[in-house]
Amino acid sequence: MNASVKPIDTITAAADAVVSRAEARFDAHRQDILRSTDRMFAALLVGQWVFAIFLALTVSPYAWQGKVKTVHVHVWAAILLGGAITCVPVALAMLRPGALLTRHVIAAAQMFWSALLIHLTGGRIETHFHVFGSLAFLAFYRDWPVLLTGTVVIAGEHFMRGILWPESVYGIPNPEWWRFLEHAAWVVFIVVFLVLSCRRSYRDMRVMAERGAELEALSENQWRNSSVVDRAAAESAARRG
Amino acid sequence: MGSRPVQSRSPVSGAPMGALAAAWFLAVVAGFLALWVYKLRPGPEAATAPRSWPVQSSIRTSGGRATLVLFAHPRCACTRATISELARLMARFHDRLDARVLFAASPGEEAELARTDLWSSAARIPGVTVAPDPSGVEARRFGAETSGAAVLYDATGALAFQGGITSARGHEGDSFGQERIAAVLTGGTPDRASAPVFGCGLNDEGAVRIAQVNDR
Repeated sequence: MNASVKPIDTITAAADAVVSRAEARFDAHRQDILRSTDRMFAALLVGQWVFAIFLALTVSPYAWQGKVKTVHVHVWAAILLGGAITCVPVALAMLRPGALLTRHVIAAAQMFWSALLIHLTGGRIETHFHVFGSLAFLAFYRDWPVLLTGTVVIAGEHFMRGILWPESVYGIPNPEWWRFLEHAAWVVFIVVFLVLSCRRSYRDMRVMAERGAELEALSENQWRNSSVVDRAAAESAARRG
Repeated sequence: MGSRPVQSRSPVSGAPMGALAAAWFLAVVAGFLALWVYKLRPGPEAATAPRSWPVQSSIRTSGGRATLVLFAHPRCACTRATISELARLMARFHDRLDARVLFAASPGEEAELARTDLWSSAARIPGVTVAPDPSGVEARRFGAETSGAAVLYDATGALAFQGGITSARGHEGDSFGQERIAAVLTGGTPDRASAPVFGCGLNDEGAVRIAQVNDR
């Protein structure tokens, strides 16, 4: 009886070992991606801040009243509001890289940057593409809820702006209340594909982790089962290169 | 993937960080609201333009077509959006509209105007003629106080619209002003014959008024 149970226990233990090894590999890989993406976004956020200040100083440095000039509000917005948008996510990226809160704050900040750049460029249609570029970049996290945060922030910004200032969003002065949904739908369009891509990428990472763990276990098993003579020969071959 | 909690090695605990993130979010939203309030503040209410084309004006109308006169400060960054919107209007109504852009100029400053980017941008628009407005004589005649103020006279010389053609300070896109001008030019009836003007002050008087209020 004992002789028949023992191999099953051994197999179960070996399988558990492979599963936990796969989990560890997966978590390490995932943390590596999250942290490196946090770092990339920290650099991007600072870069956008510098760019916005440069843009404001170049395009709209002063407001005028006849011959009297004052610093344009866009310059203050770029420095102060841009700084406010940037400082907290960058601090989180440095203090808590890889944390759940960090990447969601970064997603919100990136969408705030889209909104601010649209303001600073005078509502140019071309600047609106920053939203789509940002969502694609957020997909680097391979963490689809981050995309939802970005979508909610930009849709919320559109919704609020549509109430306060409908012409700036919809191009018509008196839009229907649901018009923000039409605009959000185009964001949702890209987000759906990015979410699918993130989920597929996530599955691929899991498969890679499991295969890596299996290979490791197999390799270790072969090593244990090999004879002393074989190991010596292998070590000798490895030394010879 | 996102549902899995991530362990952080930071000594900073999660709750204060969450509170910090919430405070940050609200502060940024407040900053945007302040920016919107600024961008939606129009220039001072202007005097009404003459109901029919003023004969004393040095600007010539083009017979049989509507004439739009736009008053601009040569260095107003907000007016860049107005010029862009004027280009859109002209692309749409080039067959029935002539436009003049008059740039405010102090005496002797006319030569400098031609070097500003707003002047060259406006001059590049087909159907638009640019000219200086020395000492703001024409601006006063047409009741314009803010850069970006436009007046539209129909083919018979009757005032059809007075106001701005942007939706906010320095912001491109459709606006009440454009919608109303389009209604006039397509034979329709606009809901109103005016629109708020967003831009810099054309003369120093506004600055003097602000300084006087501050002194008090």
